[in-house]
Amino acid sequence: MGRLHLAPRALVCKNAVIEGDVQIGNGTVVHVGASIIAKSGPIVIGANNIICERATIINNHSTPLMIGDGNLLETDSRIEGRGIGHRNIVQVRSKVTGSSTLGNNCVVSATCSTEPTENVPDNTVLYGNPQSRRTRVDADTDHSAVHIKHLEYIHEMLPRYNHIIEAE
Amino acid sequence: MDKANASVLYYCPCTGCMRTSEAPNAPSEVDAEQRPLLSTRGSAVQSGLAVMRLWPIERLYYCDDCSEVRCPRCVVEEPAGYHCPNCLFDVPTASVRSEKNRCARNCFQCPLCTHVLSVVEHDGLGRDGESAGFLLSCAVCFWDSRAIDWVFEKATGISAQVERLKAAEASSKEYANLLDYWRSVQRAASHRPATRLSAAASSAAFKHRLAGSGTHVSAATTVDAVPPYKAACYENDDHERVAQQMALDDARSLPFSADQYNRSGEPQRVRLHMKLSRRCRICHHILIKPESKAQATRFKIQLIAANFLPSVTVPTALASPRSRVSVLDPIPAFPLRVGSTVPCVIRLANPLYTEMDVTVAATSDDDVTVDVLASQFTLPPFAELWEYDEEEDDESTAAARSDDSRRGIVHRHGNRVAIRLDLTPHTQVDSLTIPLHIICSHVDDMPDIDTEDTASSSRRIVTNSFWAYISLGTMHQASK
Repeated sequence: MGRLHLAPRALVCKNAVIEGDVQIGNGTVVHVGASIIAKSGPIVIGANNIICERATIINNHSTPLMIGDGNLLETDSRIEGRGIGHRNIVQVRSKVTGSSTLGNNCVVSATCSTEPTENVPDNTVLYGNPQSRRTRVDADTDHSAVHIKHLEYIHEMLPRYNHIIEAE
Repeated sequence: MDKANASVLYYCPCTGCMRTSEAPNAPSEVDAEQRPLLSTRGSAVQSGLAVMRLWPIERLYYCDDCSEVRCPRCVVEEPAGYHCPNCLFDVPTASVRSEKNRCARNCFQCPLCTHVLSVVEHDGLGRDGESAGFLLSCAVCFWDSRAIDWVFEKATGISAQVERLKAAEASSKEYANLLDYWRSVQRAASHRPATRLSAAASSAAFKHRLAGSGTHVSAATTVDAVPPYKAACYENDDHERVAQQMALDDARSLPFSADQYNRSGEPQRVRLHMKLSRRCRICHHILIKPESKAQATRFKIQLIAANFLPSVTVPTALASPRSRVSVLDPIPAFPLRVGSTVPCVIRLANPLYTEMDVTVAATSDDDVTVDVLASQFTLPPFAELWEYDEEEDDESTAAARSDDSRRGIVHRHGNRVAIRLDLTPHTQVDSLTIPLHIICSHVDDMPDIDTEDTASSSRRIVTNSFWAYISLGTMHQASK
């Protein structure tokens, strides 16, 4: 069992699976049933992220897996790569595979996945089946407003119905 | 034997299909009256053609005018109402054509990923701190309508706003102008010959013209009278330049942007869906009529075969574990030994509220001889009470049960009767399909609507006959 570092305003449910050396930043929410497994190296999660139910973050590398700020990891998504930047959306059942990385403001749409060794540049959207990609021109403005509202709501509602791990 | 693979399919004697003239092997149990019913089956059983006519009962309809099964190929479909699948708005049939079969409200498809776009507020600020307008935005690929400069003043009636945007484009104006021009030409072409007709009907020259090159001649004569086309937006020499400079690298010299022809970059309105009603192809009696409202999932009329014909199933177990009734294994053990007789059980259930007399007959073929022990029996009526009756009914006496078993009836419960078939294979087969001819009759005592005399309700006997193909699935050979 490794160490779990929780920032004061982090909101982590007791039913989440957290193994190994994990650091969770201020304002980040980890829902019930999410898994954060620092298998071979530590995992460092920044501020104001939302990690939804059944989302999995697993570090198979010896280097730290860094997750930036303001990311939304939706239900059943899987982060296996070497890290992701800020304000990304990893949608339902999508994957960041192998040793790939995501830049900033990227979107991995539902069921899409990155190539195992690529570094996805900023503002890239992976979408559709067969999978295609494009660069978004609208930067991060739309998402951030919605994300802040989402966070506020969860911070209010989640502790009412779940057991929360208290920060030390 | 793979019990999960056992299935029962019903045969539809579609008139739309080919019919073979070869006489079938009539079962010995069926008397002469029933023989004509068998002739529809033909030899198609053995041929692959039969597969085309076999359907599970849940996909079949029943025409109560013809007293016949109808499959999806022998019904006529017609639209019963149009609606948008996204906003579920019921579009009146009269306006479907003018709306070009697409939703005329706020429903658009993403040009990149075809997901439905949502209307969002532009997060930038307009003049005086007012809203900067509304956008169409895709939640999947994050495309938004700023990419094609579509920003709307209101969040409602987006289609109308798009129409206004497009109408302002030079190409649209020119197209509308061209349309008007050619309509006027068409009008002139259709009116002129009519006026000449009265004057020159007897003229031999006119007859010659009419018989010769017909409309072309009349159009040519009238087009001469119509003034030449005058462009609305482009100069007349633009057209010449377009003709000369159609090479793509010269696209910039066109009087309009070539991108305007690339409509794939624009969101398309969501296509309308329609609800279908179905009629019998023979008598046009209505079989399926849905509620016209998009939200409603009910049907006003629903004549499906499962409500009229007895359902045939191959049971995997005949009685509940608590039951003391000892029964044989419903499905024979495989591989079958050539020449030896093995029993097999099928179960029939009555969907009607009236009693049903059933006759079951089987054919013999090269692979297997099927012996139906209980060729005639009565199916008790369906009652809701049976659904809640978990206990086996022990009302039947031991004598009745032994009489049943002597007649080949293995098990009775509620509206269901299980009967025994004896299979005698002649060759070693991998899979076995048994065709059974089932004739069922019941008394229909609905009041006669035609005579409007409710007192003398006509008690007519309705007889239905159909072929059921019982596939016992793939039989795995025992490893030696």
